Amino acid sequence: MRRLFYLVREAWANMRTNRMTTIVAILTTAFTLTCVGIFLLIYVNLQHAAGWLQEDVKIMVYLEDRLSRDGRLQLELMLKSDRMVGSVLYISKEQALTEFRTQFPADSHLLEGLGENPLPASFVVTLAQSFRSPEAIKEWVEQVQTMGGVAKVDYNQQWISLLAELIGYIELAALGVGILLSAAAVTIIGNTIRLALFARREEIEILRSIGATGTFIRVPYFLEGAALGACGSALSLGILKVGFELFRQQVQFISRFSEMEGLISFFPLSACLALVLAGTALGFTGSVVSLLRVGEGRV
Amino acid sequence: MDAMIQLIHVSKWYDRRPALSDVMLEIEKGEFVLLMGPSGSGKSTILRMLIGEEQPDEGQLFVQGKNVTKLKRSEIPYLRRKVGSVFQDFRLLPKKSVFDNVALPLIVQGVSEKDIRRKVTEALRAVGVEHKRDQSPSSLSTGEQQRACIARAIVNGPVVLLADEPTGNLDPELTGEIIELFKLINARGTTVVVATHNHHVMHQVNCRVISLMQGVVLPERAMPERVGV
Ligand SMILES: Nc1ncnc2c1ncn2[C@@H]1O[C@H](COP(=O)(O)OP(=O)(O)OP(=O)(O)O)[C@@H](O)[C@H]1O
Ligand SMILES: [Mg+2]
Repeated sequence: MRRLFYLVREAWANMRTNRMTTIVAILTTAFTLTCVGIFLLIYVNLQHAAGWLQEDVKIMVYLEDRLSRDGRLQLELMLKSDRMVGSVLYISKEQALTEFRTQFPADSHLLEGLGENPLPASFVVTLAQSFRSPEAIKEWVEQVQTMGGVAKVDYNQQWISLLAELIGYIELAALGVGILLSAAAVTIIGNTIRLALFARREEIEILRSIGATGTFIRVPYFLEGAALGACGSALSLGILKVGFELFRQQVQFISRFSEMEGLISFFPLSACLALVLAGTALGFTGSVVSLLRVGEGRV
Repeated sequence: MDAMIQLIHVSKWYDRRPALSDVMLEIEKGEFVLLMGPSGSGKSTILRMLIGEEQPDEGQLFVQGKNVTKLKRSEIPYLRRKVGSVFQDFRLLPKKSVFDNVALPLIVQGVSEKDIRRKVTEALRAVGVEHKRDQSPSSLSTGEQQRACIARAIVNGPVVLLADEPTGNLDPELTGEIIELFKLINARGTTVVVATHNHHVMHQVNCRVISLMQGVVLPERAMPERVGV
């Protein structure tokens, strides 16, 4: 009990005596983790947006005008029995016309002159949850296009594939930046620990001479490294949160669409905890790296 | 009597210069021994080897029957808990109180709070600095600092106490007091080895003297009467 208390107190004393290096270490760690965090935040939000957009993907299957009622029913049955299809909604020529008139009242005269209703009937298809990836959608569309009675299949393809591509790049960048900057954080904390060790080499010498085990000597520095990592990551989360709120205010100010606000989001609590844990692990790793050869029985 | 410390054909070189040459030595349980010799004769080297801080290039060392040269790294701390050491430079932690300094070997071993208090108080009383327990080491006189160091070395009841030039920083009067303290500790059954080049020490204590000269043990003179068990 006293031993545990001693170890924690030593770690705390370490950080207090080297206050300046401690602060610098926390700040630089926070800065590097913030950079990683920005990428993560962008990534998470794009992923979120992609999910949202894909949720909204409606595939329009336009029908040929000469398709009989039976043919149409048969097609509807086929679509509905497809396991990739979530829902199918039929929109007749008349419904399409009404919808057009309500959506674009000013332009409705354009249709008047044409006499016969020029709008085709269609199925609005939403794919099942697990088949909403851009590749799956594309494949499905190509297949439906060849069916009899289908005039044209339409969906907002560019958007989705573009976003998918972008997310792929961001993912790669986040991974690269993450690894690089995590290594930087480990090095920074490792160096801080090395400095602390150097400052206390006499004390370590004494501990050794009175029979302290290597573990006992090392533990305060492990704790210090972990604490530095935890503080650094917590601080970086704070910075990110503030930056995020400022950004959101800007967006709100610029855009008239209030929905934009709901579109971007910060990390959920669980992710925040995971990030702090990751920071702690990085700090711990840093101290382990610099303590590999310290505190052993022989000098 | 059992041998507490044994050196068998121990040799050590630093940069190809011999620091110890074929040293044969046996110190028995409960003995009080002075390790004498001029500067550079290898006294500290022997003591460092006995606590596993250094390895001989040749030969074997035994402490209480255990071969120190064959200890694994992880076993060395446990050797040091049986062998207390006192140095010329006191090596007290300046930011901790005398009490906490003396308690350190017990904390390291995970001794209970209650036993720590009892044992530290006992050790401080034995060396006569109990009244300074809450002060910082820097506020103590040099003699008191060395006493605190001795308290730290004996607090967990070691079987051997090694002292390397323990009086090097002390005037003759204090030297005498410290030597008396060692005798007292020895009288309680602890084997004591004091390394020094100070001949005054030899005159203050009537005990076995092992003389070293350039890494070689000189033949012992007629054994004087032994102190202790
Ligand atoms: N780490 C080392 N590196 C190189 N040489 C060393 C080292 N330690 C000791 N020596 C050499 O070994 C010899 C014995 O040293 P040692 O410290 O044992 O002498 P000593 O008897 O304790 O001397 P003193 O009375 O000055 O303390 C000396 O010649 C010294 O220079
Ligand atoms: Mg010496």
